[in-house]
Amino acid sequence: MEPEAKQSNLLIPGAIVVAGALIAGALYMSNAPRGATANAGQQLELPTGDLEQMKPISSDDHIRGNPDAKVTIVEYSDFECPFCKAFHPTLQQAMQEYGNDIAWVYRQFPLDQLHSKARKEAIASECAAELGGNDAFWKFTDRFFELTPSNDKTDIGSVLPRIAKEIGLDTAKFASCLASTKYDAHIEDNVQNATVTGGNGTPWSIVVTQSGKKYPLSGAQPYEAVKQLIDLALKDN
Amino acid sequence: MRTVLTILTSTRSLLTVLTLATFVFVLSVWLPNLRLLFLVWTDASVSFGDKIALPMSLLPSIATNFTLLSASYTIAIALLAGINAALTVHLIKTRRRIGGSAVIGASGIFAGAFGVGCAACGPLILTSLIGTVGGISVLAILPLRGGELGIIGVALLGYSMYLLAKQITKPLVCEPTSIEL
Repeated sequence: MEPEAKQSNLLIPGAIVVAGALIAGALYMSNAPRGATANAGQQLELPTGDLEQMKPISSDDHIRGNPDAKVTIVEYSDFECPFCKAFHPTLQQAMQEYGNDIAWVYRQFPLDQLHSKARKEAIASECAAELGGNDAFWKFTDRFFELTPSNDKTDIGSVLPRIAKEIGLDTAKFASCLASTKYDAHIEDNVQNATVTGGNGTPWSIVVTQSGKKYPLSGAQPYEAVKQLIDLALKDN
Repeated sequence: MRTVLTILTSTRSLLTVLTLATFVFVLSVWLPNLRLLFLVWTDASVSFGDKIALPMSLLPSIATNFTLLSASYTIAIALLAGINAALTVHLIKTRRRIGGSAVIGASGIFAGAFGVGCAACGPLILTSLIGTVGGISVLAILPLRGGELGIIGVALLGYSMYLLAKQITKPLVCEPTSIEL
């Protein structure tokens, strides 16, 4: 019995040490500087989880559907996140079912630490909006999620120009926009806003009712859950 | 092994397994949206029907918001936690020592809970506790993007179950702590 007791005695502190090491590593990393795409001197705020800090919806946003809809779903999304890819058709289905009653706002939340290509793709979508307007933004987004495999496996060198061409954008202007840094601040602003509202993964959504009440929705939830939440939000007038 | 199976197939043990497994599973699935549920449950203007319907509608997210790996270990952790609880209850009832297995089992649930969630885009407890940057940075260096914690959880719970089963099947005899010759 003695060797077994010894083994058991070692396992408990072992488990605690492993857990402690993971937490210590996490804390260390939380103090480390952000990825290469972060602006110098800028520090990401820790999530306070205050939904009221959500940046008001404005003409700067990419809005699908009726801008005066009773319910608005603000989605913070990452182009390389497989769950965002899975959630995209869910929101498309909601738009089809609810028509003018709901609107969908798309905001950028590239997780650089996990998906190094996501920020470039976010810039590409902003360029699509600049060159082709709101319709082009949504065409780009729909096509991107349709074509790409997620998890940083996208060949951005070929896919981005291909989509730009397919949706009728000037490919030379698109390439020049993509190479610029003009949308860096806008995207970073979206990321900061996702974080302060409590987003700690993607997709992160906030469902806003007509009276301004906000419901957080985390992850790629099934259509039935989204529908339940929309129905609940529609009751709030 | 037969003794352990007999214990687990008794109505009371099955009830314990099912109750705890369901509790752990439901909590894991709801975890990303506990804040939403809290808002809905505490809002007097929301009807009772909606207070029930919304949480129920979130349950199928095990298929949409989890990877195959994270869904597998979430279900495994729920079941193993239930089995551990049933065996622990049996040990307490028969007044045997539980020993370190309870601590290992608790560590398993703890480790598993850290890994629960959307494995590709940020496990939720980890990122909630240490902030987005730290949580996601840790994920980036892990090959399974946090799934390791779930696997550790399953392993610890499995080992805890083994220790409990061993304790149950051990004959009840008086053991001297040391034998003097």
